[in-house]
This record gives sequence, structure tokens and C-alpha cells, in this order.
Amino acid sequence: MSIEPIIGQYVTVTVAGAPRRIYFESAGQGRPILCLHTAGADTRQWRHLMNDAEITAQNRLIAFDMPWHGKSLPPEGFQTEEYLLTTEAYIETVLAVADALGLERPVLAGCSMGGRIALQLAALQADRFSGFIAIEASDFQPAWYDIDWFHRPDAHGGEMGAALVSANISPFAPEVERWNTLWMFMQSGPGVFRGDLSFYTRDDSLIARLPQIDTGKTPVHLIVGAYDLTCTPEDAKRTADAIPGATLAVMDELGHFPMSEHPAGFRPFFLDALARMPARAAKAA
Amino acid sequence: MIEVFRALQERLHQTPHLLRLGRLFSETVLIEVDGQEFYLTFEKGRLVGVVEGPSRKTPWRFALRTDADALRKFWQSRPAPGFHDIFGLVKIGRGRIDGDILCLVKNLRFFKEVMALARPQTGGAA
Repeated sequence: MSIEPIIGQYVTVTVAGAPRRIYFESAGQGRPILCLHTAGADTRQWRHLMNDAEITAQNRLIAFDMPWHGKSLPPEGFQTEEYLLTTEAYIETVLAVADALGLERPVLAGCSMGGRIALQLAALQADRFSGFIAIEASDFQPAWYDIDWFHRPDAHGGEMGAALVSANISPFAPEVERWNTLWMFMQSGPGVFRGDLSFYTRDDSLIARLPQIDTGKTPVHLIVGAYDLTCTPEDAKRTADAIPGATLAVMDELGHFPMSEHPAGFRPFFLDALARMPARAAKAA
Repeated sequence: MIEVFRALQERLHQTPHLLRLGRLFSETVLIEVDGQEFYLTFEKGRLVGVVEGPSRKTPWRFALRTDADALRKFWQSRPAPGFHDIFGLVKIGRGRIDGDILCLVKNLRFFKEVMALARPQTGGAA
């Protein structure tokens, strides 16, 4: 038996003028790395890296559950609200959490929709961060499915969502981690995956902003898995090519949830990404 | 090809968790391979009929249309990207799914795992 070093806590921040009780986990010490989960999932996707002693010896990894996800509650009045994530609310939430936790220019690492918002922040709020690791992230992805499938009264959205996203998991992923990854989608609250996908598949505002990103001030590194049907290597390359100075790594044996579906396979790519980020956050210009 | 579907039928009936997952699935699915039709009829999760077409008289709920080479790659234990999932086949232009897609999505885990039963190592999702 062993007790993991990950510490879980709650913090209340204000988003859109109302309180949000946010669950976050942290592990390690040193350079802060703020980690963002994918759509329809939660902080547990990052647990393997947070339990990696070599990584946490010099990095403090912090991951939080977005409101509506994991152990973060939806806002008061959610029962009559249609959850639809927006770029603006997502940015406000990330910045509010970084402020509340006193993170000074953390590296921002996000996967899928977390990678998308990391690139938005690289374009719009670069001074708040020291670098960006955008995993399975692209400029824009129109849906190849109907997002309304995942929120309907006659079927279980979580089970359908998990069955769909299994298409994005590599056959090289260990069976146990494939199913741990899918379990998070199965647990997702009603309409949450749909609301995340609304942001992910309908907001194309990042496309015009990519050339604004100044990688001379804040490096941007993209990582993409060959088995990702949602953000393919071609999508990631197109995105990286639009950001002057951005770098890209392709993982031949991984899919859309690399840190979760195949931790050992992802580890060297994450270490490489960390090595590309500033060792210590410089003061904002 | 029909031998593969019959082998798949046998494996399904030896896979208790799939019979449980499919207990509400009673539909006919058309699998079209290089234009050749195969009608798979499920009854409460059991594959009770594997019939070769063509047939204009057999109603089906949804269809997967692909080619034999794509299926051969799909049925490898570790398929190449795109060949690892039925939606992957669609994405890379080697498959088409039509009919009642919502019915497929409601039963997606079941159907994908049934299709993957022809892989050398089974137990994972398609």
C-alpha cells in the first residue's frame, strides 16, 4: 500500500460574476505547470504525471476540474441552465484559478479543448504564462458527429460519449488505462460533454489569432497522437504552421488522451515539452 | 467473408459481457464489403442470422459499407491509424455508415466490440 503524493483541495473563484467552487490537485515543487483536462473528463487524466517523482522533483503540477466537471460543482441555478462552454468563460476560469492559487507565470499544458484554450491564451494573455504545451490541439475542429447525441432523455450520454471517444484511443494503450480514460466520460454529468463540444466544434475564433502568438516571448509546443481522429497530425501541423516559431511532435502510438490512455508512452514527449519551456518564469514584460 | 462473420457470431455467444450489453439490441445491420452485402440479424444481443445478399426484402437499421482490405486491416490486433475504429474507416475514406445513426450510437460500444471480435486479441474497444 502506498499513499500518492497528490493533494486535493478546493478553492472558490468568481467567474461571470458568480462563485465557482473549484476542485484542484497539486503535486511537486518548483516551476508551476497548470494542467487542463479534455472535454467531458476531469483532473484524473493527469494523475500519472502528477505521481511521477522525476517530473515533480522540479515542477509543481496543478490540475483543476472545470466547473460542471469532476468534483467542481456547477454554478447555482444550473438546473435551469443549458451548459454551453464559451472561449470567454473558459479563459476567465483559467485565469481566475491561476490568480487564486498565486501561480506566477505558470507553464500552461492543456489537452484537446484544454489545448485549444491554451493557444487562445497564448494569443490573448501570453504575459500571464511562461510557455504553452498544447496537446491534441488545433485551430478548429468542426464536429464529425452530432453533439446533441450526448444529451437526450432516452439514452445515457456518458456511455455514448465514451463509446464515441474510444475511437480516439490508440490500440497501443494499455487496456486498464483505456478503460480508466473512458470511465471519466461515462461519469460526466448530463449535457456536460455536449456543452464542452459546443465550444470545441463551433468556435473558430482561434484561427485568426494564431499569427499573433509571439513564441519569442512564450514558447509554444504542440504534441499530437497519430491515432487521434478528432485532432489529427495534419490538423496539429496546420495549426503549428500558422504560429511562427511553434514546434510540433507527433506520437506514432498514441491517441487523443495521451497522458491518460498511455502514460508511459506519453512521458518522453511530456519531458521533451517541459525541456522546451523556460526553466524559471521570467517577469512579465 | 461470411466465414469471418460466422466466427464472429460464435465468439459473441461466448462473450457474456457483450450479450449483457446488447440485451436490448434486436436489429438487422447491413455490412457491405466491396459491394457484397451481408445481413447480420441480432436478437437481444445474440447474432441469430448471418445472411449473404443481395436482398431487397431485408430491412436493416444501419449499414457499414467498406472494402475487404480495410476490414483485413481493421481486424489486425493493432491496426494502423484510421483502421483502428469503424469511425476511423469513415474518417480516412475507407468506410461509410448510413441509416439510423442514432440507433448505432445508442448501441455503439456493443456494435464496435462485436465488430472487433474478429481481431486476434479481443476484449478491447474497437
